[in-house]
Amino acid sequence: MTEQAEWVRQLRVEFVAAWAIAKKDMIIYYLKPNIIVSGMLFPLFMFLAFAVGRPGEPSIMIPGLIAITILFSASSIEPVSIPIERRMKTFDRLISAPVSLHAVVLGESLSGFLYSIAIALVPFIAGIVIFATPVVNPAPLIIGILLTSFCFATMGTLFASYPTESPGDIMSMLNVVRLPLIFISGIFIPVESIPAIAQFVVYFSPLTYGNDLIHAAYSGTTAFNPLVDITMLIVFILLFQCAANRLYKQFND
Amino acid sequence: MNAIEVSHLTKNFGQLVALNDVNFSVAEGETFGFLGPNGAGKTTTIRILTGITVPTSGDATIFGRHIVTETISARRQMGIVHETSNIYTDLSSWQNLMFTAALYNVSKAEREKRGQELLELFGLWERKNEKTNGFSKGMKRRLTLAMGLINNPRLVFLDEPTSGLDVQSNLIIRDVIRDLNAQGVTVFLTTHNIEEANLTCDRVAIINRGRIAAIDSPEKLKKTIQSVQSVEVALDPVPHRAEEELRGIATVSEVRKLGDKFQLFTEAPPAVIAGVMAYAEQQHTRVISVNTFGPSLEDVFIRLTGIETRHHGVKTVD
Repeated sequence: MTEQAEWVRQLRVEFVAAWAIAKKDMIIYYLKPNIIVSGMLFPLFMFLAFAVGRPGEPSIMIPGLIAITILFSASSIEPVSIPIERRMKTFDRLISAPVSLHAVVLGESLSGFLYSIAIALVPFIAGIVIFATPVVNPAPLIIGILLTSFCFATMGTLFASYPTESPGDIMSMLNVVRLPLIFISGIFIPVESIPAIAQFVVYFSPLTYGNDLIHAAYSGTTAFNPLVDITMLIVFILLFQCAANRLYKQFND
Repeated sequence: MNAIEVSHLTKNFGQLVALNDVNFSVAEGETFGFLGPNGAGKTTTIRILTGITVPTSGDATIFGRHIVTETISARRQMGIVHETSNIYTDLSSWQNLMFTAALYNVSKAEREKRGQELLELFGLWERKNEKTNGFSKGMKRRLTLAMGLINNPRLVFLDEPTSGLDVQSNLIIRDVIRDLNAQGVTVFLTTHNIEEANLTCDRVAIINRGRIAAIDSPEKLKKTIQSVQSVEVALDPVPHRAEEELRGIATVSEVRKLGDKFQLFTEAPPAVIAGVMAYAEQQHTRVISVNTFGPSLEDVFIRLTGIETRHHGVKTVD
């Protein structure tokens, strides 16, 4: 077998393994109470706490709710599943399989990604059915949901690399990052209204770009060029994936 | 080509030297036992050989593939049965097997055929669709072993495969180890059960404090300590100070009380038997039974590691 053919074969093997890991996570973890609370209820209550009583059209509120839901749901599976797998020693099974750590990280992220897409449909459908919120441009909505979900799923996998057997340890660290993201990403406060001194932080939040894309689907306007949003989300995905790969390798040792 | 080749392997965790210049090889088709007390370096060795941990220095190859630079290719040759029964208890035994098969790139047709064979072999076929959270410890262990064999490996790492199991599971697993050996599969077995190593292994290595203390066949290792032979004697009635007085018999180096019997360690069993008879006559007591024993693998283990395991629980004797 030529080197190229072997490389293609191994790539296929890596995707098969990643999909097997994702499927396994879906069967085992989707109905775990922590995941339901973190993925569905928590973002809803957070949103209600900050949105109720504030002036705002559904076309402004719904994209924000979708973005927050994606943030919390996509990043909630791995911080629960991986510490549990460490405790049960099933994680050793994954990291000793004949696939790269990238495949393991990808597989874990895939489950969060798919879960998040399913959950994001709830506020999306609610927007249409209850508030009759029109989507003026579906393309950024689809791309936004896909990239933002994958980005935060990878972020969840990255945080889950911390070598603990307790999901609570990771969730607390993760919330230290997730909660501030809501306020610096243009969901409740438009990016341009954020004080100048804090403006630069906005650019370091993947939620800024995800929210901007989803918002574009409803309002037709964006704070950044959609290509910038897409590029930045891809950069964050690659960054999280590579960092996760490195940290899992380091902590396994 | 050897199945495993380990050369000058060293692993440091900060100041702690977990493995110190370890060298050994395992021939293809061999059943190789890896014995050592807790903390001796067994798990670190397995983690390095399975590509989970990177050595500080030295090399290890699996069928000629370097475990650090050709990790994936080396892992394709092996099946791993971890120390804990690491199965997914929310999945059925069939789902567990199919998941592992997918991780090891076993084709769909092959994985179903192999899955059925293994579940039948381990007596789990009838319960293949049940979630495994209701399985007994022995059933979980058998499933773990089946998962380690789903890819038809050339080399199997078995980490404490029978630890704490019921007799039935123990026997099934030992039979499987023998079958694997008969099929030419190389088996790397770590165990605390020295008798298991004695019964199943072609060769054993004893590791202590990160260094290999001895490697040879169980019988050759036993021959290195011929001085540790023993005479087991039962007396009726047992004289009040029997343990102390039996120690006074010429050539007896140590006396242990085992229930209603005494075990006298010696280099010259016939002389000790004569001494015991004379002692019984002098004490007006009757010798109910006398048995002589050669050195066991456990004696070798104790001699090399300084760990007492059999008669007085676990304690350091040096």
